[in-house]
Amino acid sequence: MNEILDQYFDVGLMADNFDAVLEGFWITIQLSVIAGALALLWGLVLAVLRQLPGRPLLPVRLASVAYIDVFRGVPLLIVILLISGSLPFLPLPEAVRIPRWFGKPDPFWYGVMALTITYGAYMAEVYRAGIEAVPAGQTEAARSLGMSHGQTMRHVILPQAIRKVFAPLLNDFIALMKDTTLVSVIALNEVALVGRDIQSSDFNSSALTLGALMFLVVTLPLARLVDRLIAREKGRFSRTSPRGAA
Amino acid sequence: MSKSRPLALLAILVTAAMALFALGCGDDSDDGGGTAEGGGGGGGTLTVGSDIPYPPFEQGKAPNYTGFDVELVEAMAAKIDRTARFQDTSFDTIFRDLAQGKFEMVASATTITPEREENVDFTNPYYLSEQALLVKEGSDLKSVEELAGTTVGVQQGTTGQEFSEEETGAADVRAYPEGPDAVNALVAGTVDAVVIDLPVAEDAVAKQGGVEIATSIPTDEQYGFVVAEGEEGLLEELNEALEEIKDDGTYAEIYERWFKRAPPKEVLSATHEVS
Repeated sequence: MNEILDQYFDVGLMADNFDAVLEGFWITIQLSVIAGALALLWGLVLAVLRQLPGRPLLPVRLASVAYIDVFRGVPLLIVILLISGSLPFLPLPEAVRIPRWFGKPDPFWYGVMALTITYGAYMAEVYRAGIEAVPAGQTEAARSLGMSHGQTMRHVILPQAIRKVFAPLLNDFIALMKDTTLVSVIALNEVALVGRDIQSSDFNSSALTLGALMFLVVTLPLARLVDRLIAREKGRFSRTSPRGAA
Repeated sequence: MSKSRPLALLAILVTAAMALFALGCGDDSDDGGGTAEGGGGGGGTLTVGSDIPYPPFEQGKAPNYTGFDVELVEAMAAKIDRTARFQDTSFDTIFRDLAQGKFEMVASATTITPEREENVDFTNPYYLSEQALLVKEGSDLKSVEELAGTTVGVQQGTTGQEFSEEETGAADVRAYPEGPDAVNALVAGTVDAVVIDLPVAEDAVAKQGGVEIATSIPTDEQYGFVVAEGEEGLLEELNEALEEIKDDGTYAEIYERWFKRAPPKEVLSATHEVS
């Protein structure tokens, strides 16, 4: 038991390396927030594209479906390696090939790209579930009032759909946040790499445990928030509830 | 209700069957060493942990690994009547894995350092090395001083990483899982320079192209083979075997084959006190 505490919970070691691990975790947070926001947006775009009506827009719908299928099917790690391995060699302007925007190193931006591309696909499916859960009567009423498809989506469907899937989207965000650790494989100094570095030089895993605890500080409250949102949604649409839609 | 229960049961059984099938059918890859026994015990096999590839010290595909380290260990194993079996493992956890008994020794171009000595034991040195500053062909970087403010690629857990972090003014030290990853980043242009063992750098220049060695960085590094702390029996056996192949010319032959020159006298007589 003592060995377990020594190897994983050496408080002295944690204290010595606290700053370094926190710095790494700060990078993790930045990566999660930026990639998460972009993925949420990109997922919405994909979902809307998938819903566009009419025969002439069939290629657009198919393209969206194909994209979602492919990027839900390919592991994030492979996408990260594909981008970082070959993007620098493509005939693109230097600022795109080796992005150093806002002072952040290129592995950071490769990570953002990979996370957005992959999680956008997951979130598109979540949005789709939300859109399909809105009763058809809403669309029918809106269209018969003379609203176009675009107006219907913007003013009637999407607000309801997004409210429904807030909790699953937040769940996906928590997953994205944990998956940012995969970017360590292209040498981004986020919390997993920092912890691993200390582990290999000090022969002790406590810095990694510290990183894990930092994750819990963020993900646990988010998970409880998800639970609360789910409960509230259930209450809102229950017939017997005094609150909720009239 | 009664319709879905047998179906659910069937689904669970099928999943369990597939899992068992996958486990049982798995190819016993030669990468997996058996459980390591204590020094000397267990008959003919000597399990060796190594981070492969790291040319020209260890390279190739299982089970036909080649390289300077590989051939030396095979020769030494023959002297103590055992067969070496190499196991590919990640360098930054290699000492911990050794201490846990995943393999009996490590042969992975490992520099003898006081920090590492606190946790493991080294044999006598078998190679004298330096670091090298690897840059893209035609780059302006010519010396270690010029590294101030640049981005440097290294391999995780190596003395190259330590050197870059402590002795250069590099603005960003990027530690990659494998040595070749750092060289690839150099070719891609995402790092300005790479600090890595000289022989590995020379190998990259010869095989990859597009990169050149700006300067060598003499760090007086000695490579040793590694055993877990407390394994005096195995350590003695390995030192004796190393001594024998140095004396009978096998060492020189292997050295010339991989480095195209005769081994320096210093390494032939180098010894190392176990602390």
